[in-house]
Amino acid sequence: MVKFLKILPIATKTGTVTIKYPYQEPLVTESFRGAIEVDPAKCVGCGACTRICPPKALTLTLEGNTMILKYFVGRCIFCGMCADTCPEKAISVTKEFELATGNVFDLYTDIEHEVKTCSICGKSFISKKLGDKVASKVSDIPSETMDLCPDCRRKEALKRFIGALE
Amino acid sequence: MTSLHTSSNSAIKETMLKKALSRIKRSIWVFHLNTGSCNGCDIEVLDVLTPYFDVERFGIKLVASPRHADLALLTGPVTIKTLSKVYKALSAMPRPRFVLAIGSCAVGGNIWFESYSTIGGFPKALEIFSEMGLEIDGVMYVPGCPARPEAIIYGAATLLGLQKPKSKYRRLKA
Repeated sequence: MVKFLKILPIATKTGTVTIKYPYQEPLVTESFRGAIEVDPAKCVGCGACTRICPPKALTLTLEGNTMILKYFVGRCIFCGMCADTCPEKAISVTKEFELATGNVFDLYTDIEHEVKTCSICGKSFISKKLGDKVASKVSDIPSETMDLCPDCRRKEALKRFIGALE
Repeated sequence: MTSLHTSSNSAIKETMLKKALSRIKRSIWVFHLNTGSCNGCDIEVLDVLTPYFDVERFGIKLVASPRHADLALLTGPVTIKTLSKVYKALSAMPRPRFVLAIGSCAVGGNIWFESYSTIGGFPKALEIFSEMGLEIDGVMYVPGCPARPEAIIYGAATLLGLQKPKSKYRRLKA
């Protein structure tokens, strides 16, 4: 009948296990991955992260004359693959997980990029920063080809090729 | 005469709702609603209800029927098959009714956001429900894949007004 009393010494030995969160620091280990942080100073807008992102939480869209890298935390699965693949090391994985909000639009982060337009057709194709980056890394590209969109560049190359044949 | 009667009725309803909202804060009963989740978030929800995290500190208690619940712990991307059942469960809840959308499936649809078999998260379901005339008094979105037990507690605490939400929309120039 008093069999259950044997729990009492065990309970007194263990004490209280309940944690006091949110009035206490959360248990976050070293390997924990939370929301990502994009450094706008380092980001060039190449879009490598948008291609690797499994749920497409990172997207690159063109809105008029600005290119926008949109990060939606609500869709992020916190895999950290974007941080691994970023060529500029602009993305870092933080330990932030207290992201709850009553409005979905608070979960978006936008990064604006200035866009480069084609000197012939006027179409915008890459961000200005990415163009500068490529120009600084590869020295033997003539500047007039750098200002062309891929379609116009192809046409110009063909024109030059035909001109050389004649 | 009838119009006057209905308007006073709605005013009474509103004051009753306000009273209920102020009273609900210390004793919120939750109903666990799985809408096609992978069970990752459901395990975290169970974790929250264990003595280790012990949400009964805030008066949160799990109930078996939506008719007894104030808050639905909604997990999963709301598949087409479950949409009608979600509607039924939420409309069975008495006013004021709240929803805690847990996990990146419920918030944004996760990797299934453009799939043919899901509607892509609770925000899209909310649009359908508001069209159908189902009123929901408060929604809190808890991102995470799966959402940590602490994140769920934080979401519940923000819903109860114990904490202020940190996330804000940001637009930065590169």
